[in-house]
Amino acid sequence: MAESYGGPRNGASAEAAVRLLAQLTGHGSGATAATLTPLEVLERGADQPARLAPAAPLEGASIVRRPVAGSPDVRFTAFLDGIQRSLVLPQPRPTVPVVHGTVGAVIRERADRALRTWGGDHVLDRALYLPVARVEAAWVDAMRAAGFGIEDTSAASADAVHPAEHLSAARDAVQRRREAIEAALAGRWCAEGRGALYVDGGIAALGDAARGATVVGVVKSHRTAYVDGPSLEVVAALPPGDRTTAFVVESRRRAHVASWYLRLREGDGADPFSGIVRLEVAAGAFSPAHADDVSRWVLAEREPVALPDARWRVMAYGIRDCEAYLRAVAFRHG
Amino acid sequence: MADILGRVVATEHRPNTPHEFHFWTALDAPVGIGTIVRVEGTDAIAGHVPQVHGVVVEGFSYSDLATPLHDVLGADGLPGRAGASPTRRTEIRLYKAAVLRHVPDEPLQPVALGNVFLATEADVEVALRMDAYLRPGASTGIPIGLYRAGATASPIHLDADFLMGPEAAHLNITGVSGLATKTSAVEWLLASIFAHFPQAKGRVAALCFNVKGPDLCFLDQPASRLDAADLELYAKLGVPAEPFAHVEYFAPYTARGYALSTLRSHEALVHNVRPLTWGLREVLQYAEVLLNKDDVDAKADALIDFIRERVVDQDFRDERLGTQHRVMSFTDLERWFSDVLRSMEERNQEVWRTHHIATIRKVRNRLTNISTRCRGLVTDDGTVSDLPWGAFADRGVYVVDVANVEEDAQDLIFARVVTQLRERMEKRTLGVDHVVVFVDELNKYAPSDGPDTYVRKMLLDVAERGRYLGLVLFAAQQFRSQVHRRVVGNSGTALYGRMDVDELATPGYATLAQATRVKLSTLNKGELMVRHPHFAQPVFVHFPRPAVLSGREGVERFPAAAEPGLEEAIVRALRPLDRSISLDWVKEAIALADEEEVLRARNRTLQVRPDDVKAFFRAQLKRRVAPETVAPRARPAIRTSPGDDPYAF
Repeated sequence: MAESYGGPRNGASAEAAVRLLAQLTGHGSGATAATLTPLEVLERGADQPARLAPAAPLEGASIVRRPVAGSPDVRFTAFLDGIQRSLVLPQPRPTVPVVHGTVGAVIRERADRALRTWGGDHVLDRALYLPVARVEAAWVDAMRAAGFGIEDTSAASADAVHPAEHLSAARDAVQRRREAIEAALAGRWCAEGRGALYVDGGIAALGDAARGATVVGVVKSHRTAYVDGPSLEVVAALPPGDRTTAFVVESRRRAHVASWYLRLREGDGADPFSGIVRLEVAAGAFSPAHADDVSRWVLAEREPVALPDARWRVMAYGIRDCEAYLRAVAFRHG
Repeated sequence: MADILGRVVATEHRPNTPHEFHFWTALDAPVGIGTIVRVEGTDAIAGHVPQVHGVVVEGFSYSDLATPLHDVLGADGLPGRAGASPTRRTEIRLYKAAVLRHVPDEPLQPVALGNVFLATEADVEVALRMDAYLRPGASTGIPIGLYRAGATASPIHLDADFLMGPEAAHLNITGVSGLATKTSAVEWLLASIFAHFPQAKGRVAALCFNVKGPDLCFLDQPASRLDAADLELYAKLGVPAEPFAHVEYFAPYTARGYALSTLRSHEALVHNVRPLTWGLREVLQYAEVLLNKDDVDAKADALIDFIRERVVDQDFRDERLGTQHRVMSFTDLERWFSDVLRSMEERNQEVWRTHHIATIRKVRNRLTNISTRCRGLVTDDGTVSDLPWGAFADRGVYVVDVANVEEDAQDLIFARVVTQLRERMEKRTLGVDHVVVFVDELNKYAPSDGPDTYVRKMLLDVAERGRYLGLVLFAAQQFRSQVHRRVVGNSGTALYGRMDVDELATPGYATLAQATRVKLSTLNKGELMVRHPHFAQPVFVHFPRPAVLSGREGVERFPAAAEPGLEEAIVRALRPLDRSISLDWVKEAIALADEEEVLRARNRTLQVRPDDVKAFFRAQLKRRVAPETVAPRARPAIRTSPGDDPYAF
């Protein structure tokens, strides 16, 4: 199926998927991609419960405040961010949902203070996420024939009875896909040895890139806090520019990373984590001095302020630029 | 393949239309207000991928900030800190362009979201529709200047059919004074016309009124300074960088009558300066120019008509008058009036030939007063020295210097010269097929408000009907908004130099984008904005310095001669006709003549331009018999009477 313009690119658009399903089922809902609400918005905050997960310190025996000596240091040469959108397509049998997932990632490289897309382009991937076994085979064939990539979520939702379980499986698959393309992009960057990379979010899922000394993950959300109760007070009381003791974040399926909290700005007085980010670097590359260096690198990115984004206290302008770029290119064809 | 300059964009809030579109560029793109661009369409329509040409009329720049306050907050109120951040904010250069042309012309659709390219020389030709009149072998293009953008330098041509008629015609130039834009532009354009006016369209000349200072007094003298850039422009536009080859100057005398009233009075330059003097016959036809409506009511008008048709230039006989009259001059006219009034008074009559005595007195007063009000231009004795009517030369420039002439005389000169031009162009007896009339300070001579003067009516007539005759008005003024709208409205082509911001705020400029108006207020010397019937939008061009000596430099290099005494004035006037004439000869020749007689003889000599100047000049002076000493005759002796004479006493 040809798109109205621009042509298919890494899979067909959500708009085309809506039209195809309406055609297959004879069920026209009147909806368009623009009128559908992404799962990421519908389930925001419900995906992961807030929790404390105390981690083992890498410096000393407890989590304490550690002033970062020296001035902010501009070292990052690029910023990496990804984007995802999962749309549940309207169809006459919503108990078995069909989800259109769009994922994208980009590295924006900085040269002469201006940001440009590294490698000449971003990575974009679109596919339909559905439990293939539970969907009519003729539909699946028609979807493939129309140029849609099909991601089967059957394995993750084999025992699912509630439609939300299917949705959860689809959304997890979309997220894994996003992490995969981010990892691939970061891997290419590291392979070329092009300098320090500022990654939005954790780096544990980046595979080999997570072991590089110049890849720094900056986590803005703190649903999981890697401290205990008393240490939480230490984190909340950090003055701007100071960090905590580093600790190790371990995962069964992902790389271990060294991490610490760093306050970028004064908080808003309401959220104890307001103005605080958690940095991640490869565990193998960690040293206290490196943690201070990386902290200075991240502090240097406080300007320009990422306003008008609501997350401006913890967001680097380079990441805001990545998001603006991806929003502009990922969904322009629906 | 040319580099892509930008990309057309459109949003619901800022859509493109068939006559306007938006595009963005890199921050360092060579684009500015007035840049001409080409848009490549994306989809073929009826087998053709459309192209759209446009000119940039507005520019926008903004960042991803929602409010300036965010930048202030982000930099803690320290501007230097904002500029030192490791990353520059995303910034956009967005331009609005007005469509110049769609290719093909139909169907007329909104501009596609295509790539934007800087217009090449060929693109500029198409965009401005110059391709229609720059056909090899049949070109009617008149270069007006060079359009420049990036690496493009494209000659811009006006269409002679639309500049000189018959399709549109006339030119209007606006710009602030003192930047040499208006006069320079006209001098340049006349040179361009003379170089490029198609032979097939016939002969062309220019008649310029020099209304202020020495502006047009040195058109035949080379410019003191033409730099390499100017010469490059001349070469690129195919116009010789030379002064005008054939220029003639005309000026009335000063009120004293000794010298011509012009700043071009340096001895080295007077060879082509001629007096402009008219007698009764030339003036009477334009009496209404000098007489206001209070002067010329229906009765007075009837008497003036009577004088014009029944009295002037013919024998006039009336049994009630003492003598037969032949009125050839103001002096004759005064004698005629005196005779008529004396006759009426003697007979105690109030009416003569249906004209009341009060009307006759009034008209006498007004008419005979003209030679006083226009002294220097109008001669009492009827001597005429005029423009070479019927013998205008191809590519000739005729300058009538009225800069130092009284307002009444200026009006009379405008009225008569332009009327003569019109009448002779109608009869095709001027000597050329097209004539450009240049008038500066148009807001003075054809104001939008004020009295409906003869001069304004005449200028309106030229503006509205001149193009059919080949009579083309090139008019200039500082404030276009203050010129009669029918004069500027009939100007097919308009040039704009640097403009006054207050003038730009008037409604006449509302159709221009704000950025275009700002650019107009900051134009440099040698830059113009051009409007022409073929151009869908105004275009900015560069033109070279004129290849003639500027007025300011001219008066420094050729300072005006001081007004001479009578003898010196005669020498100066006659020496161009006969180089042997000396001050001593003149002193001897005029020794016995009075001033009025000498001036009359000079005027007559200049008018006739005889072979033997000295003899002719002497012949104009009254013969005077030299006094002779007569010896007393010897008295005859008294005879004594005879002594025998009986009658003797």
